[in-house]
Amino acid sequence: MATLPAWSLKLGAACITLASLAGSFDYASTHVKNVTAPLQPPVADRPAASASPSPSPVPSIGALITLRPGQRTAAPGSAAPRLSLEPGVRTATLAPLTFTHVS
Amino acid sequence: MEAQLLIWIIARAAGLASYAALCLAVLSGIALRTSVLDFLAKNRALRALHDWVSWLWIPLGALHVVALLLDRTARIGPADLLIPFGVSYGAIAIGLGTISFDLILIIVVSSWLRRRMSDRIWRWIHRSSYVAFVTLFLHAALSGTDFNAPLISALSWAAALGIGLLGISRIVFGRLPD
Repeated sequence: MATLPAWSLKLGAACITLASLAGSFDYASTHVKNVTAPLQPPVADRPAASASPSPSPVPSIGALITLRPGQRTAAPGSAAPRLSLEPGVRTATLAPLTFTHVS
Repeated sequence: MEAQLLIWIIARAAGLASYAALCLAVLSGIALRTSVLDFLAKNRALRALHDWVSWLWIPLGALHVVALLLDRTARIGPADLLIPFGVSYGAIAIGLGTISFDLILIIVVSSWLRRRMSDRIWRWIHRSSYVAFVTLFLHAALSGTDFNAPLISALSWAAALGIGLLGISRIVFGRLPD
């Protein structure tokens, strides 16, 4: 049985490789984003779009925080107030009230 | 088209095309030591194919790596090309690609320096291409963005399984009987 010469094997390999390159380029161009891709790199620190400001002012988190009575407010010009994760209900120093009768 | 988008598409396409060419390289390499492709060509032609196909997969593999280095979303640095498991996400999937890259680099350089080293050492280094192919396939399967596309998945798995069967038969039986 006649066998193939080396040049035809090389040509076939080049055709297979170029076809796979063109096919995969076409597929990747038409499927730019794949939500089921196994790797999803985090994109949090992408450069922010500084050229165009947001159309409506968004309230900062500082304005959303209500301070408790007696809690110190931050000095003007300093960093935003921190969120307190302490429990909101605390024990008081007053004597406990007890009711022993029912009207 | 945006430059970053083009780089991302090039990285994916070059990776898949490099994988296809590398399959041909491994297949022709196994065929040199077995008789699986004797019906197609003589050993001299297969050897010429095995040598020549490296001019296909090496530039495509390099293009894949360089494009990922330039891609800002991928966040792969030069150190990650040589040191595996250092990427902040998909450490195993990308680390396997790094291992295969390191092994392939050693195999290619040792092949260029073959005349300056003993044949036994070169042969053992060249046998690690089986390990490199396995890690490369796992890298593609675990991290490939397009690997779950039906056609790409079918072709890639079929090529890997075929080469895997030939590789196992090569290891177990040596040169297959005519």
